[in-house]
Amino acid sequence: MRIKVAGVGLTKFGELWDKSLLDLGLEASLDAIKDSGIDKNTIDAVFVGNMLIGKIAGQDHLGPVISSSLGLNCASFRIEGACASGGLAVHLSLQGILAGTYKNVLVVGAEKMTDAPSSQITWALMGASSSKERKAGLTFPALYALMAQAHMQKYGTTREHLAHVSVKNHYHASLNKKAHYPYEITAEKVLNSSLISYPITLFDSSPITDGAGAVILSGDDSSKGVYITGSAVASDTIDLANRSSLTELKATQLAAKAALKQAGAEISDIKVCEVHDCFTIAEIMAMEDLGFCPKGEGGKYITKGHTRLGGKLPVNTSGGLKACGHPVGATGVKQIIEITEQLRKNAGSRQVKDANIGLTQNVGGTGATVVVHVLQI
Amino acid sequence: MTGIVSYGTYIPKYRIKPSQIAHAWGKEVNEVEKALGVFEKAVASVDEDAVTLAVEATLNAAMPLNFDLSKIGAITVGSESHPYAVKPTATTVAGILGLPENLLAVDLEFACKAGTSGIQLLSGLINKDTKYVLAIGSDVAQSKPSDVLEYTAGSAAASFILGNKDTLANILDFTSYSSDTPDFWRRDTEKFPSHGGRFTGDPAYFNHVISASNLLLEKAKLKPADFEFAVFHMPNGKFPKEAAKRLGFKDEQLKPGFIVSQIGNPYSASSMIGLAATLDIANPKQKIFMCSYGSGAGSDSFIFETTPLLKQFQKKNSKNVQSQIQNKQMIDYSLVARNIINKYRI
Amino acid sequence: MSSPVTVWRHHKNIKNYLGQTGKIIVWTKVYIAPAGFEHEAPYPVAIVQFKDGMRMPLQLVEYNEKHLKPNQKIITVVRKLGKVKLDEVIEYGIKAKPI
Repeated sequence: MRIKVAGVGLTKFGELWDKSLLDLGLEASLDAIKDSGIDKNTIDAVFVGNMLIGKIAGQDHLGPVISSSLGLNCASFRIEGACASGGLAVHLSLQGILAGTYKNVLVVGAEKMTDAPSSQITWALMGASSSKERKAGLTFPALYALMAQAHMQKYGTTREHLAHVSVKNHYHASLNKKAHYPYEITAEKVLNSSLISYPITLFDSSPITDGAGAVILSGDDSSKGVYITGSAVASDTIDLANRSSLTELKATQLAAKAALKQAGAEISDIKVCEVHDCFTIAEIMAMEDLGFCPKGEGGKYITKGHTRLGGKLPVNTSGGLKACGHPVGATGVKQIIEITEQLRKNAGSRQVKDANIGLTQNVGGTGATVVVHVLQI
Repeated sequence: MTGIVSYGTYIPKYRIKPSQIAHAWGKEVNEVEKALGVFEKAVASVDEDAVTLAVEATLNAAMPLNFDLSKIGAITVGSESHPYAVKPTATTVAGILGLPENLLAVDLEFACKAGTSGIQLLSGLINKDTKYVLAIGSDVAQSKPSDVLEYTAGSAAASFILGNKDTLANILDFTSYSSDTPDFWRRDTEKFPSHGGRFTGDPAYFNHVISASNLLLEKAKLKPADFEFAVFHMPNGKFPKEAAKRLGFKDEQLKPGFIVSQIGNPYSASSMIGLAATLDIANPKQKIFMCSYGSGAGSDSFIFETTPLLKQFQKKNSKNVQSQIQNKQMIDYSLVARNIINKYRI
Repeated sequence: MSSPVTVWRHHKNIKNYLGQTGKIIVWTKVYIAPAGFEHEAPYPVAIVQFKDGMRMPLQLVEYNEKHLKPNQKIITVVRKLGKVKLDEVIEYGIKAKPI
């Protein structure tokens, strides 16, 4: 596979009271179209990743909402896979290009979370879990807290390890003017912040964010640039209780293996990556599941500094979900954009030296869906 | 002969003292427990209601003899805290327990005697087709916060399985006495009940309990001394002892069933739990007198006689009344306040 | 919350889980609750494993802090699930009580 990321566009991530979902989607789309230099009328299809707007604002049918706002009559779709909606939208659009059906596609990931009260958002996000989990009064922080507890019990991972993830991602976000929280924090702040669901604190958790990202993907591989060379999706049980393990995401392992195979690369080739740190424990498990470190050593790995800018494998230079923000349907697309900017050498003070191959990992729910992309120049 | 085949109770584990309640409202705390004869009352959790209490009591009734609940042909749930004004508690309880659908299921309301009225009504239904019936009294008792009723209004449930065979206690006779007496009431859309203060005494509780008891004793040609034990409805620790005295029963006869001092007044479950506590310690071939009371007003009186099967049942009944009374945890008024705010959506 | 029809279907299953014993695999304590559960917060939720190996997430009731540990024995009890509007149908379900 060799599909060009022809253009990228990203809105600011944050509490964007003045902007509607359409405003954000349109802004990102127009920026991506401009960046790509293509005539928008050559767009053959529009793929929109979004999870919540139907539930909180009653707005479905997002494909035409975006495509018609651009004045297009092309194919348009809305894709939903919880927090993996953006990554899935990218993956599915690639299939259209690979099949030869589409040449240029616009993929938009957008989410408007501040339009509803947070208790309603917490409830709406639980649509990504199962009926049994909802009836037990669980929330996403609680589900990841259960995985954190299992990881701490089995491997001795500590709350300090978790806090390190948050500190590092905030440092990266402090260099990213588009981030929701562009400032540093300390480990003490994380450990002393209020408990959401033991042991997950406020600062272990990604925030409620508005934002949108868009990419123009093209089947025209004639010029130099950033290319998607691997794209794979894997799934697992919706119920955390039914997983074969509470301390790893099988879907990450499967999707990463498949995507790397497509790209003809090994995990050790990856120079920079964006992983799905919806909660700090998720980044620790991702390091293990992707194969950057052995099972159970994710906590130690994080504290060694390897994943901080300047280290041997910077992870989440955007600030990750924690500090860049997590407009759920947009995250998967934002990850593609961040790696693209890294490979283009366009990441400014966040630039990873010699970044020539990168990886994104986008997770839906507690790991029932995982999408992995590999990008190369 | 028709009688009790099995029984079970469920008493929530949390307890609060009347003095703690008085203290929460800034009232005079001294001697309130002694004056009422109530030292602790049982408090239900925020996720418990008459349905959940009834389910747990029935599971406790089925457990000692491994009773197959699919043999139940009729169920009544008596309560003054049915979760719905329209939609029977009885069918919700039956559905959760998996009772067969070939079933008569009916809710009863008669203040604190709705549970015992179920025993009288269902006992007549037992025949070759309806072999076993289930009479339940279940309440998460309501009272206006800061009203004197709050000291005693408790929560609990009792389930009695009745049948014609293998009874551990037979129903020798019963009667009922009813009149239009507005001593305690709650209008349809009102949150809390109201009561007539001292009017709830002689013209209400005592008139009906004494009348129903005397009618039954005359009918059966028995005297109080013929009974080993007696259970009267217990709205507080004073009324039942006074009624017993006026009828000629002695305090010792009331002792095993006198649960009000330990758990307060669980309304429709009150005399039924008193009966259960008495059966928990009685010997075979002993007579037990019971008279319930429901405001509005009426009394159901009963004569039970225990059988040799009772001893075996007692051995297997690990969740008997005293074991549940002792399995307790003291709380403070904050749980009560949360229940009030939650239930009444304040 | 759940519609009358979904509550109806769900209630039919409760009898299969009555009085079952199991043990805690992992637990958490929810401080920030979703809509419908705020009145119960904070409350623990555990992944519980039953004798036949089946696992389920269940809210814990009547617990002390000492019960919040792996392998703690529990028994299922029937309670109300969450809180619904006044004109909605009440949903009952299974929770876990440490024993």
